[in-house]
Formats: sequence, C-alpha cells, structure tokens
Amino acid sequence: MDNCLMVDKLYKAYGSLTVLDNWNLTISKGQRLVFLGPSGSGKTTFLRIISRLEEPSSGVINSFDQKIGFVFQEPRLIPWRSVKDNLLFVNQHGDYQDILGRLRLTGFEDYLPSQLSGGMRQRVNLARALITRPDLLILDEAFSSLDLRVKASIMEDINQLWQENRFTIIAVTHDLKEALCLADRIIILSGRPSKIIKEIKVDLGRDRSFSSPDLLQLESELIDIMCSTQPEV
Amino acid sequence: MNSFFKGIIGIVVFIAIWQVLALIINKSIIPAPAETLRLLAEFIFSSRILLVAWETAWKVFLVLLLVMIIGMPVGLFLGLSDTFYDMFRPIIMLIQAVPVISWLSLVIFAWGIGWKSPVFIAFLSLLPVSILTTVSGVHNLDKNLLEMARLYQVPGARILKDIYLGSLLPFITAILDVSIGQAWKVILVAEYLSGGSGLGVEILRMRMIFDVPGVWALTLIAVLLGIVTERLIKLGLRRLSSQWTIA
Repeated sequence: MDNCLMVDKLYKAYGSLTVLDNWNLTISKGQRLVFLGPSGSGKTTFLRIISRLEEPSSGVINSFDQKIGFVFQEPRLIPWRSVKDNLLFVNQHGDYQDILGRLRLTGFEDYLPSQLSGGMRQRVNLARALITRPDLLILDEAFSSLDLRVKASIMEDINQLWQENRFTIIAVTHDLKEALCLADRIIILSGRPSKIIKEIKVDLGRDRSFSSPDLLQLESELIDIMCSTQPEV
Repeated sequence: MNSFFKGIIGIVVFIAIWQVLALIINKSIIPAPAETLRLLAEFIFSSRILLVAWETAWKVFLVLLLVMIIGMPVGLFLGLSDTFYDMFRPIIMLIQAVPVISWLSLVIFAWGIGWKSPVFIAFLSLLPVSILTTVSGVHNLDKNLLEMARLYQVPGARILKDIYLGSLLPFITAILDVSIGQAWKVILVAEYLSGGSGLGVEILRMRMIFDVPGVWALTLIAVLLGIVTERLIKLGLRRLSSQWTIA
C-alpha cells in the first residue's frame, strides 16, 4: 500500500517545553488513524505540523503532495457568508450541492452560520473540508462539543464517504467511542513530552454504530489499556 | 410613543429654550427662533445660498473620499506590519495633535485663498482617525479565519474581499461616523479663516455686516446638510455592505 505520510524523529518544543518527543510513524493511503491521549499531549500540534501551519523543531515529515481537508475543532466559518459561499471560498469550482446533499444540508445553502445549530455548523465545517476533494482528511476534536446523537450521525456520514472515496483520515479525540467508530488504527500517546506508547489495530468491519456489541467490547478493552498507560492526575 | 414623535418633542423643547434665551440675552447674540427660521426658509429657496452650500458640500465629499481611499489602505498596511506601525505611529499621532489653526497658517502661504486649503486641512485632521481605526480593525481580525484561508491556499484577493472587508466593515462605519460631522466643522472653519467660497465664507460675510440671524440660519443649514450627508452616506454604505452583513 502507498504511503500517505511518513514521520521520522519528529520533535517539537516551545522554548524549554517539549511537546512532541521523537515521533516515528508511517501512515498508508486510505488508512483511518486516530490519536488518543491526554490534554496537552501535542495531538493538535502534530495535526498543525502535518498541515504546514507550524514548523517542527526537528525531524522530517514526508507528506507526498496531497490535498488536505481540515475539520477544525471550532467551525471557523465566515459569519457574513452563506453556507454555499463558505464552501466556495475554499474551492470556487466545487460541487457544493452534492457535498451538502451527502451531509444532509440540502436546503440550507443560503443560510448564514448564525442561523444554523452547532451540529449543522460542524457539518458545514466538514463539507468545506470535503469540497476540496482531499486526499487527507484531518479531524481535530471536530465533534467533541456535539451531543451523542449528532456525533453518531456525522460519524456515519464520514464512514460512508470514506467507503466511497478512500481518503486518508487522521483524527484526534478524547472520545473512545468516536475513535473506535472511525479508526483502523489507534495510537495512544503519553502525557507531555508526548511519545507514541501503543498502537492498536481496529477491525470492526462496516457496522460501527456506537451501540454495536463489537464496538462496546473493544471500548471496554481500550479503557483498560488507557488506564494502564496513562498516569493518574 | 415612537422615536419620531420623541424627536419632535425634543425639537419643540429646544426651540422653547431658545425662545426663552432670546428673551433674556441680548438679541444681537441670540436672535429669536421665529426670525432665524424665517431666514432659514428664505435661504433654502435662494439659489445663491444653495450654490454656496454646494461649494462647501463638494469639499466635504472630496475630503471623505480622500480619507477613505488613502487612510484605509495605509491603515491596512500598518495593521499588517508591526514594524511599520511602530515606525509611523508617532508621526500619525503628531499629525492628529497639530491644531487646525496651525495647519491653516502653514498652507495659506502655500495655496492662498481657494478650495485647496480647507480640503487639505480637513483631510489632515481626519486622516489619523481613518488610519488608526483601520489598524484597530486589522488587529481585531479573526486570526482563525485567516489561518483557515491559509490552510486551503485561498488566493489573496478572495481573502481580502471575503474576510478583510467583512471584518473591517464595523470599523469603516465608525470612521464615517466620526468623519462626516468633523469634516463639515473643519471645512467651515477653514473656509471662514482662509476665504474663497462656501458656507464658512458666507458666515464670515454675515458676521461682518452684523447679521446675527443670518449667521444662525447658515449654521442651521450646515447642521441640516451634515445630517443629510450622514444619512445618505450611511444608506449607500448599508447597500454596498449588505453582502458582508450578519443577519
């Protein structure tokens, strides 16, 4: 399988504060990778580095010239632009009607962000990332503020779109259900300075609803792993 | 009671106070409202006075235009560059602090009587407000939106139109709020002191012949024109800016 991203001896520090400590990682194209780790473990910093929003202190990132779609934690929609215009802002030739249809937003093209619910704004955030036809979709705790029902519905949409387009997904989250619903591979991080301490393969097949017995079983195993690897605060 | 009727009551109260003051104070300082308003009506229908008012009005429009098309790009540039902002801020503060009368003394030697002196002085008085307000607008921009645009490699022209203009709109409105009334006042003073033509010169002429009701009537015309200008410009701005408005 071709590689989407290769990370070699990645190190990031802000002054004397080390955030990422010697990360080595290879991500294949079409893979769904989720990072789980405590707050301050550098998950978002890593996403910002691979998106070229920040420079690493040292180390090499090979990202193979791909288009990136980034779903931010907060929607970052232009408040005075409609849903349609927010999508066209990043890709003027994108098929916004198709994307909005896929994300159950048909009929809301001309709405302003302030006229939408939190869940709908995050769907627009996702739609904006997808309209660029990304090779790599990055999710930065994108659904942490949403209620379970909305979150499950968006996860279902992402998995459906992934089945059709097979883009690579890299996500960070605190939510174990969200991680299991989305991932082929979960990487568990230590506290700061953050290291990769464990990798778990997730083989759940296509049924990844939050209530599926296999997912619940894996969640309980993941809780044990997290408790044994994360220090008590 | 709606705000229109409240406004009418306010005007009636103002005229009543004016009438009382006119009875108490020397008539050559405060003329009776009836006399002033009669003269105002006469002036409004006088083609000569309307022409004089137009002489002042176009200078005001020219100053506002110059302030916006020069002050905003300069403010945008200084807002984006901390180095240049730190370099030029003292100069801008200095320009802002110089009294109108000092500018007038200087430019009257250069240009003498005519339209250039009032326009230049009003422009210099308002330019710092325009620049510094735009700089504040740029400093208040949502950095997350700019980062999002950078991530998606959105072209600069689209960022300027969709993010910068929308974010700066409240600041543009604030610049106009301050500038319209100020432009009328400074132009009138500059006309009064440097001569040429316009309402300021006409007020000077009335004062020279001790026509106090005439001075007051011309002042009311200037006030009314200031209000009308503000309304017209804001209406135009509202139409132009409707695409950047948050419902």
